[in-house]
Amino acid sequence: MIESNYKHILSIMVDNEPGVLARVVGLFSGRGYNIESLSVSEVDSDRFLSRITIVTSGTKIVVGQIKAQLKKLIPVHDLIDLTELDTFIGKELILIKLNVKNKPRKNIFDIIAKFGAEILIDNGIELIIQFSGTQIEILKLIKKLRPIGIIEQTRSGLVSMALGTKYIKKG
Amino acid sequence: MKKITGAEIVIQTLINEKVDIIFGYPGGAVLPIYDELFKQKEIRHILVRHEQGAVHAAEGYARSSGKVGVVLVTSGPGATNTVTGLTDAMMDSVPIVCLSGQVPTHMIGNDAFQEADIVGITRPCTKHNYLVKDVTKLASCIHSAFHIAKKGRPGPVLVDIPKDIQTLKTSYLGIKKTKYASVYKPRLKPEGKDIDRIIELLCDSKKPIFYVGGGIVNSGTKASKSLYKLLKYTGFPCTQTLMGLGSFPTSDDQSLGMLGMHGTYEANLAMHQSDLLICVGARFDDRITGKVSGFSPNSKKIHLDIDPSSFNKSIRVDLTVQGDLAVILKILNNEIAKRKISFKKEQYKEWWQKINRWRSKHCLKYKKSEDIIKPQFALERLNFLTKKFNPYFTTEVGQHQMWAAQFLSFNKPKHWMTSGGLGTMGYGLPAAMGVQIAHPKSLVIDVAGEASILMNIQEMSTIKQYRLPVKIFILNNHYMGMVRQWQELLHGNRLSESYMDSLPDFVKLAESFGATGFRIQKPGDVDSLIKEMIKVKGPVICDVIVDPKENCFPMIPSGATHNQMLLGPEDKLEGDVSEEGMVLV
Repeated sequence: MIESNYKHILSIMVDNEPGVLARVVGLFSGRGYNIESLSVSEVDSDRFLSRITIVTSGTKIVVGQIKAQLKKLIPVHDLIDLTELDTFIGKELILIKLNVKNKPRKNIFDIIAKFGAEILIDNGIELIIQFSGTQIEILKLIKKLRPIGIIEQTRSGLVSMALGTKYIKKG
Repeated sequence: MKKITGAEIVIQTLINEKVDIIFGYPGGAVLPIYDELFKQKEIRHILVRHEQGAVHAAEGYARSSGKVGVVLVTSGPGATNTVTGLTDAMMDSVPIVCLSGQVPTHMIGNDAFQEADIVGITRPCTKHNYLVKDVTKLASCIHSAFHIAKKGRPGPVLVDIPKDIQTLKTSYLGIKKTKYASVYKPRLKPEGKDIDRIIELLCDSKKPIFYVGGGIVNSGTKASKSLYKLLKYTGFPCTQTLMGLGSFPTSDDQSLGMLGMHGTYEANLAMHQSDLLICVGARFDDRITGKVSGFSPNSKKIHLDIDPSSFNKSIRVDLTVQGDLAVILKILNNEIAKRKISFKKEQYKEWWQKINRWRSKHCLKYKKSEDIIKPQFALERLNFLTKKFNPYFTTEVGQHQMWAAQFLSFNKPKHWMTSGGLGTMGYGLPAAMGVQIAHPKSLVIDVAGEASILMNIQEMSTIKQYRLPVKIFILNNHYMGMVRQWQELLHGNRLSESYMDSLPDFVKLAESFGATGFRIQKPGDVDSLIKEMIKVKGPVICDVIVDPKENCFPMIPSGATHNQMLLGPEDKLEGDVSEEGMVLV
């Protein structure tokens, strides 16, 4: 029986201390787990807590192991599998640099307006736009813009949150 | 408040943690700590000859005493030499605190002399580690290290202390007022409904078996006592893993001996045919399960463990109960008594008849010889002649280790120290040192192979210095026996590099370290020389020349299941080992 892989979004509260990201990432590489995206930043400066969002995939058993192993790390305070909760959203930020020299601008601006993206810099030659959305929306936008000429792009990795307060551990 | 140096804090915190022995090796980056050690009398330092030996010695000390083993080493090579020992302690859940020196904080990252990123290197092989960059956090890191090392599932913790931190001054509030550097509160108590469910499953079974691992030894004497009570009350059979030996007396009629790759026929078949498997502090390791898909196919499975990451890792179980085994078993015993549940003999009669039929195969039998010493015979005699001294055994890794597990009796926990998870050759000698230091008056025997013993032979010098009366019992077959066995079985008998040429004369080697050396060459001399070995007050190396061709049976070949055991050399593999099996270790 081959079990299928499912995508999981894990939200991990950790002590914001040196080496904590290395512990988390090292656990994934050392045990052969897969990281599809990762984002991290401090979210509570009083208690020195950072929140890591990891998108991973695996069978039920593998993901169960990933969660159990992560919880075993001493600086990990709490771990939530958002994909197990009823209503959650996942968003990602992307910056895209376009080559717009000698190109019909109307078409470009139409796409940007349609997706609700934002122009950050426009010097007539290059255009840097910002867009946030789900991963599917981002891929759609990239597909539309590719024929125009994407010079480079950078993505933040997914951040995610669920409705309700029950899953948030206090202390 | 009086300010003291970081080095003084190290000593004070250790004293407050009730440390009386540390194993170490000095060097440039820990000189301030060694200077403080020199000035005090409460902590005894054991100078090893290699840092790997320090960690194994601390493991032996910890496993035989139930205390935390403490190691002190210098930066760079001193620290990197501990890596094998720390990994070993991680795999076998041994509480160790390793303090390492580090180059001064302003030099870190500069490729300074004897600098190594030991916190980076040991991140995956320790339970946790700290680099102390602020002297005011030193005490809290060290106290935290002890807390983490012994609480929950035990393991090694490393604290890396730069040299400048050792000389800077700060105040130390003592053990009670110092806050831990990390929050760590593992769950120790099971949930009530879990206990109900266990009892239900116990009552429903007809072919139950207890599968007991090292967790029960780690949980302490109380856990072993509760297990004994539970087993006696239920009358169920019990098999033990390599790490679990001693948690329940192997001489007891309910004990089926060790299970797994070189386990007994009765234990493995009982696992295979049981309808209820109660795993107590074991982890369904690959040496135990054999082919996962064919492992105990028709049983309900209960898993009791302190570490939830051991649940459903390789084998799916029906009920998982997280908690300290001593706590779980006590509650379970109390509930069974309170509810007046009885386990009637008739319900398990057929099951025991089956087990006794498997037992009558005498799977550990071997061909006796009058001319050549069989390794099994040497161990049987060693066991018989030392039994009354209640000895502590350590081993190295290989055939001799498996024979020791099969032929020695284990009637008390914490008397058996072997490298199970990592399989570290060179473990036994330094571990025996640590055991001897924890139990100076006891008989401590390292059952060794001639290949393994050479991996940490330098520790003979430590043994000499501290006059440790460790007995080293080498089963010398001139081969890396287990490697040869696999080459015979799986690689067309091409004995690539497994012959131990140019061995030292172990008798002279013993003498050169001020120890006594014996060589036993004839079966008829085995008894008298073992008796003599026990009589000698100091350390002894016993070089037992055994049958070079003997192999270790029973055996479950790689990729096979429990009911596909090879019972002896006359048993042939059914067809070739599958490709899947060939790649397994």
